[in-house]
Amino acid sequence: MTDPFFPVWLSLGVALLALVVTAPLGIGLAWFQASRQHRFRGLIDGLVLMPMVLPPSVVGLFLVWIFGRRGVVGHALESVGVRLVFTPWAAAIASGVVALPVLVKAAQPAMEAVPQELILIGRTLGLPPHEVFLRVVLRGAWRGIVTGLMLAFVRAIGEFGATLMFAGNIPGRTNTMPIEIWSAYQGGEESRAFRYVLVLTALGVMTVFVSARLAPSKPRRLG
Amino acid sequence: MKAVEARFRASVSSGGSAFSVEVELELERGVLVLFGPSGSGKTLCLQTLVGSIDADEGQASICGQSVFDVARGSKLATHLRRIGYVPQHHSLFPFCDVTANVVFGLPRAQRQRIPAEINALFEELGIDHLRGSMPESLSGGERQRVALARALAVEPRLLVLDEPFASIDRDGKETLVAMLKALLVRRGLPTLLVTHDPAEARSLGDAVVLFNRGRTVGFGSLDALAGSA
Repeated sequence: MTDPFFPVWLSLGVALLALVVTAPLGIGLAWFQASRQHRFRGLIDGLVLMPMVLPPSVVGLFLVWIFGRRGVVGHALESVGVRLVFTPWAAAIASGVVALPVLVKAAQPAMEAVPQELILIGRTLGLPPHEVFLRVVLRGAWRGIVTGLMLAFVRAIGEFGATLMFAGNIPGRTNTMPIEIWSAYQGGEESRAFRYVLVLTALGVMTVFVSARLAPSKPRRLG
Repeated sequence: MKAVEARFRASVSSGGSAFSVEVELELERGVLVLFGPSGSGKTLCLQTLVGSIDADEGQASICGQSVFDVARGSKLATHLRRIGYVPQHHSLFPFCDVTANVVFGLPRAQRQRIPAEINALFEELGIDHLRGSMPESLSGGERQRVALARALAVEPRLLVLDEPFASIDRDGKETLVAMLKALLVRRGLPTLLVTHDPAEARSLGDAVVLFNRGRTVGFGSLDALAGSA
């Protein structure tokens, strides 16, 4: 019998790892899309949204095709002794892929809402582009970004379909909370499923509550 | 050496419609007023000089240094141009108090330990009592004085004011115009001022360049305004 807390710690670890990788990528992508008019804008928007609109099982199968033993990346990794499929790393990749669009779609409008005048003023004050981004854009858009990070974390920790396809259901290795809920329910152990339902529901409620608190109650008057 | 020398064409497009401006201006010292009706290209001219819009052709230099030359393919990044810019709206960072706004462009050490000359700037612009206030609690005139202090704090070589009095009530405007005039005379900082108010232009300007329908149509003394007012 596996440790009942293992799925909790595994899910938290997987979601945190997914967020650590997704956060800089998602925030950078959101800023790239928010700050530039370029010909690939629509294409990138579409690609970012894909994991959100595709069924999780389809996303999982794509990941297997890419990172599996015969996949483009998986084959190369296998040749240096790294195997991702059916490991907690696979669960983190699956969680990160489905969390990315959630983060980008929350952060991008927040960044777009930072007035162009403020960005221009930052530049005229002698700030190089990276400092304008850190000190003007991130500070102006932090509510949207934090909300995006929280929603992405909850999406990552709740990921089921793609994780099952890509990481499998190996007790004591890849059985995250959503997978454990499914296993317990399949096995007629609803009380075992219930404790993970409780943890995930509490996380979801907390995220919704904090997100609502972060949203400005009235339009802010700009200086 | 001229403070500003510019001859360029720039354009912007939005929602399928395009607007362009053809500019020819120079400023040796003092305040050059960019005067003309709304939509005549004054702000587009400033945005091109500041660096937020790329010129289609031509060149411009500030204090002898080229800021862009389309033919040579050279362009100085906005943060290296050393232009103090005060826009009409959204002039202050809403997430910083007045002090943090004024020192925003200074190096970290000076932001933490504010130099005496910056403290003097607070006094000079009459904003010393506002140090801890947030922008949303300030009047229009106070906001523009803070924006001016912030632009001056980084010691620009050119000051650019884009209708700085547009959102200020009449009393506040008169006070600010008088304060700005005294300050510019004291500092001798070359300035470009955009306005479509002849009274403002006469109070502050040393010379004027007239804009109409997307081009500069006249350049010279403020007497030129008499016919256009």
